Amino acid sequence: MAKARAIIKRRKAIENIRKITRTMELIATNRFKKALNRATEAAAYTRKIAELVAELGRTDQEVSHPLLIAREPVARSLILVLTSNRGLAGGYNSNVLRAATGRYLDDQTGGIEPKLEVAGKRGIGYYRFRKITPQETYTQFEDKPQYSEVEVLADRYIRMYLTGAIDRLDVAYTEFISSSRQAAVVRTLLPVSGLDLGSQPAAKGAEPALEKAEPLAYEFLPDARSILEEIVPVSLKVRLFKCFLDAAVSEQIARMVAMGGATKNADDLAKSLSRQYNRARQNQITRDLADIVGAAAALE
Amino acid sequence: MAKSIDPDFAGESKGSSKPGDKRIHLVVVTPERTVLDTLVDFVAIPLFDGEAGILPGRAPLIGRLGFGELRGRVGDTVDRYFVDGGFAQIRDDSATILTARAIPAKDVDVAAAEEDLRALESTKATTELASADRDRGLARARGLIRIARNKG
Repeated sequence: MAKARAIIKRRKAIENIRKITRTMELIATNRFKKALNRATEAAAYTRKIAELVAELGRTDQEVSHPLLIAREPVARSLILVLTSNRGLAGGYNSNVLRAATGRYLDDQTGGIEPKLEVAGKRGIGYYRFRKITPQETYTQFEDKPQYSEVEVLADRYIRMYLTGAIDRLDVAYTEFISSSRQAAVVRTLLPVSGLDLGSQPAAKGAEPALEKAEPLAYEFLPDARSILEEIVPVSLKVRLFKCFLDAAVSEQIARMVAMGGATKNADDLAKSLSRQYNRARQNQITRDLADIVGAAAALE
Repeated sequence: MAKSIDPDFAGESKGSSKPGDKRIHLVVVTPERTVLDTLVDFVAIPLFDGEAGILPGRAPLIGRLGFGELRGRVGDTVDRYFVDGGFAQIRDDSATILTARAIPAKDVDVAAAEEDLRALESTKATTELASADRDRGLARARGLIRIARNKG
């Protein structure tokens, strides 16, 4: 009977774990929907800015802005790594960290002095283990990154770039391509490469092309060029914010998938344990019966 | 409410006698979400060098915004927002305001703005970059204080 009872105990434990993973999956699904909504709402701004840039671009202005100028050779770079604060998200964090560390080591061997900034406890823990000290660490970004928080970072990076403290800014994060596909990428945000914000695919398929048959004769206040120059830092901030939003959405998806898999495994395991238990119980009964029959035969 | 004694309000109420003819589609978008999407009779936008009043039928315009008050008027009610820089696009009776932040006037934190102003006034900007930052911060703090005082 001892073996059957041990199996029951194990099955009970697995059922408890299944309850937890199932709940986590549901929570992640819920958060994913919310995060996706936020990302979709945020896309309106990007779209409008792109529209403005298109209108302004018609005026054939030469845009010059210090953030647009790439500096060669790059002597100092900064890598911002976006990871999650919590684990149990499958390969989400390890993929980002692998991409980021790859770039970090490439920079080091290429004679560039890389700095590291890490958001998320998982990444912080990883770099502590690797004995690489990040310049800054952030843990305040959860599944709802605030624009005002991201803007502070962006302003600091802009200042660092303008004063020459960094020559390049890379962000390692998980890009949200579709709800079934996310990829860990390292994107260069500074210097700003062109103003077309459409370089990153929008959250929900391609936006309708901004083509208007009749170009309107706009009045520009103060003038097209200075507006375009003003848009440069804004576009950087929006791109950085988009990275954070993407990372938040991808994290929830990764957790959803991981927990869905764990729930399924727990189901399978519980099933096979049930089978084992039944067999063990049947054996036990057979053995007991044989004992009884044997005992009865001995008494006669 | 203070709007009846607002000096520039008199000029705005021109169209109020025949409301509903033509309206402006006012959309305020921040990087996080669309804050406002309504029809208004009149809208005043804070451009970088001063306020501009927009009535239906305005010629197309793209402008840079400063730190100031955005007013949308429907009938006799006025919605007031603090706008934190950005851009405005006017076309076909629709006004799109792109800004980092749009705070309803009643939610403006005067104390914090005054503190910012004091802190900035007492700092010295030594480089061109810092000086630009400082000017920007000052304009922002003053805009916030102005809008907060305005509500009377």
